[in-house]
Amino acid sequence: MASFHVSAPPTAEEAVRELASGAPGEVAVLAGGTDLLLDLDEGRARPARLVSLRNLPWRTVVWDGAELVVGSTLPLRALETVAGLGERHPALFEAVRAVGGVALRHRATLGGNLGRSAPASDLLPVLLALDAEVDLVGPGGARSLPVDRFLRASRETALGRGELIRAVRLPEPRPSAYLWQRVRPANDISQLSVAAAYSPSDRRWRVALGGVPPRPVLVPEASTPLDGPAPSPAAVAAGARRIAEHPALVSDRRASDEYRRGLVGVLYTRCVRAAARRAGAAA
Amino acid sequence: MIRSFRPDAGAKLAGTAGFGYDLDRPGMRFGALVLAARAHGRLDSVDLAPARALPGVVAIAADDLSTLLDGAHGDPERPPFASREVMYDGQPIAAVAAPTLAGARAAAAAVVATLAPLPVVADLESVFPEWPEAPIASSAPIAAHVHARRGDVDRALREAATVVRGTYRTSGVHQVALEPHACLAEVRDGLWHVTTSTQSPFGVREDVAGILGIPERSIVVDGTWVGGGFGGKGASLVEPYALLLARAAGAPVRLALTYREAFRLGRTTLPSVVRMETGVTDGAIVARRVRLLLDVGTSLPGRDFATGYAIGFLLGPYRTPAFEVEGYAVRTHKPPFGPHRAPYAPQAAFVVESHLNEVARAIGEDPAAFRARHVLAEGDRTALGQEVSAFGLSEVLRRATAVRDAWRRDAGPGRGVGLGLGFWATNTGAGGEARVLLSPTGLEIVQGEREIGSGSVAVGLVAAAERSTGLPRDAIRVTYRDTSAAPFDAGVFGSRTVGALGQAVDAACRAALAALGDRLGGAGELRLELEGDEVVAIRGTARRPVRSLLTPEERRDGGLAADGRHTGAPRTIDESLVVEGGFYPYQDFTGAAHVAEVDVDRETGAVRVVRYAAFHDVGVVVDRPTATAQIEGGIVMGLGAALTEESIWSDDGRLLNPGLLDYRIPTLGEVPPIDVTFVEGFAGAGPFGAKGLGEPPIIPVPATIAAAIRDATGVSLTELPFTPERVARALKRA
Repeated sequence: MASFHVSAPPTAEEAVRELASGAPGEVAVLAGGTDLLLDLDEGRARPARLVSLRNLPWRTVVWDGAELVVGSTLPLRALETVAGLGERHPALFEAVRAVGGVALRHRATLGGNLGRSAPASDLLPVLLALDAEVDLVGPGGARSLPVDRFLRASRETALGRGELIRAVRLPEPRPSAYLWQRVRPANDISQLSVAAAYSPSDRRWRVALGGVPPRPVLVPEASTPLDGPAPSPAAVAAGARRIAEHPALVSDRRASDEYRRGLVGVLYTRCVRAAARRAGAAA
Repeated sequence: MIRSFRPDAGAKLAGTAGFGYDLDRPGMRFGALVLAARAHGRLDSVDLAPARALPGVVAIAADDLSTLLDGAHGDPERPPFASREVMYDGQPIAAVAAPTLAGARAAAAAVVATLAPLPVVADLESVFPEWPEAPIASSAPIAAHVHARRGDVDRALREAATVVRGTYRTSGVHQVALEPHACLAEVRDGLWHVTTSTQSPFGVREDVAGILGIPERSIVVDGTWVGGGFGGKGASLVEPYALLLARAAGAPVRLALTYREAFRLGRTTLPSVVRMETGVTDGAIVARRVRLLLDVGTSLPGRDFATGYAIGFLLGPYRTPAFEVEGYAVRTHKPPFGPHRAPYAPQAAFVVESHLNEVARAIGEDPAAFRARHVLAEGDRTALGQEVSAFGLSEVLRRATAVRDAWRRDAGPGRGVGLGLGFWATNTGAGGEARVLLSPTGLEIVQGEREIGSGSVAVGLVAAAERSTGLPRDAIRVTYRDTSAAPFDAGVFGSRTVGALGQAVDAACRAALAALGDRLGGAGELRLELEGDEVVAIRGTARRPVRSLLTPEERRDGGLAADGRHTGAPRTIDESLVVEGGFYPYQDFTGAAHVAEVDVDRETGAVRVVRYAAFHDVGVVVDRPTATAQIEGGIVMGLGAALTEESIWSDDGRLLNPGLLDYRIPTLGEVPPIDVTFVEGFAGAGPFGAKGLGEPPIIPVPATIAAAIRDATGVSLTELPFTPERVARALKRA
């Protein structure tokens, strides 16, 4: 690992200033570091400076009415233990619990996960299905983006130079579920994952696919067949057929396209059924 | 105060036990290796100048050896550095040392190697697409050919009522010691000193002498606590480089591998393909043919230890009247094949047991009942004609079958229960010596071997001395010495430590007691006891403190010294059955039977092990907690080989998963409840009739899991490991 300088500015303004002063690649954000560290260790990234966000007042989580606002530097372990998370955002709870082990979750953050935008992230499919909004702060001031617009490609986001993720907002509690498949259940990268959520406000489903290149995606064609909070078996079967045709189901070193195509309908069906059961329980 | 059955637990929990990574000296430099980045290539040049231009850096490569070794030449077949040709991804090309670790890494990165690509053999099957139908060409890259037979196998198979055939594939697995290889070297007073995390200080000394061409008497090897070896630390790996760097730098050098480097450089079990045919008439095996292609990487012709060994295990612990076995050790562009806990035995057991299950089903018999009629017992002869000594395989099979049947009765839908056998031999053939020092206050066992984590040295040797002398363990301690002061021993591997070295300790203790007995007088068995702080010798009515029995010289030297030695009893196979190559006899016969219950998700292919039971033929239990822990650990390691662990190489021979994220050892979450049962009474080659336990527990695991999956799904898996994708594919095909 090459040497680098770490600063931990006390305010967002200073952090933004420090970040904006560096050329891309010369400066990197440290928001937990569980993913960045691998790049540093392997020499894939060689920043001269790291700007740590640990002193910023963003280690927060609040319910603002129906909305859940998660500060970007809140460790995932703290998010996981928020009272009521499992009932109100079951998919998010399941996804957080799927990230690494407890020790890793004490360091990893939601903001870091978004900012690094790994294709196999367990959190991003759920944020898509929950219509998360990403609050940014940067040299040009503050702005918000839906997570689907924030994510661009593998390891590519809408973050501008000097821009930071301040918080993630989830607009409403949704009956939801998240399921993944891995070679090893714990401490592994998902070969494929599916998140499904039912919105009580617009009475529509969201279905997202993860563990596929180039980034987790919403699959509208797999949610439109789902008719209401308790979709019929025929509707679920139709959605399962459609999601199996998704072009992102390709071969890579984690799984073959054949396996992914066979698996995706299974995960989708189980996921929608679990979310629908939760919708029934909530009604 | 930490209470444990392990005397080393306190220091390890407190972090005060020194491992290879903890080695430190004033003025120490940090070493790093420059590894080849392709599997096969012509090494046109190695430019060290950019590294040498960095502050405080020394850099060495093949051309520097003669100067560094004062003209000495090591074994030309084992050069430390590639000079003209690179033979595997990760082969060392050069080494550097610098005042800081970051400086060493930067210097290693600065070395410029020009490597022109040459054709790569990465997959053994690609070399022999027609095998075994077409014969193997004489120009094929073969390191060894082994062949043995008895009877007319062609005819026996032709005339058999039922013939079952199967092809099986096994994967490469890695030892994954939690502590990668690490050592510290110094050259001073004309001696080459190296302190290292090793399973065999004397083995490292011999290896270093061979590789560098310097006499063993000029080399001193000391050990550290070892963070796991599993076969990967039985020979030298980093030591020659650290010594050369220390010589070049004129300062102590620590060389510690990263995990990635340990994966790329490490010698371990490589893939194989096995074809098996078994003929059965009237419910009895009449003949078996086994053909093996074993990937041995860049193992040298004549240096392949694995193939003859592997093929012995492929015959299985079953009575087989006629057989033919033929194996080819295939050279590929991978590091040389090396030992991994029970080298190839878990893979062989998977093949043999899976095949046998199909044979039993083909004739409509319960596989356990079929086994019970075929397992070897004392007085039988193995396929290769060796007489079988005390063997508890029938007994462990009988008990495991009862558990299998009980579990099967309660198994719900999606569940399956399987049974698998394994056999091994306590490797007491390699020699060992021990020295004990009996003082007025206790007994000291002087050792060169280090505790590698299993407890075989820190607990096993102490337990052996406890049995031999009667002294309580509190009064017995192990003191560790370097190779210049310690009695010789072959190494902590092959399930031999308590088996072989324990006998040497027992012999040394008995020699000490005999010497004492002459001075004490009396008649009958002499025992030692602790009375307060004082060791007392007792025989019949005679009873005196040891203090009063020592000579003035002994009191001055710390006690009565006694030596013991162990050499394995000669064992033989029927050499007339061997057509070509080396086949090996067993020192004893050690059996195990395992039972697993699994839950199989038929839609995703995911397998979860629900519970596990292990029955082990151990001779006698020398120390129950240590033996239990060995079995549990072996099973967990076996579950990794069965379900998730495999080395994956690209078509151009690069290891694609040299790290702990993609090389998946089990986490505690995948470990089921494990129930361990010891079966005693079938004496082995170790002290007091004990049998080795380092290797036996890993051997039946993949076979057992395969049988359980078969029971749950009706599908037989023929390729390791049973990842969800492989299971799903097999279910789809069925």
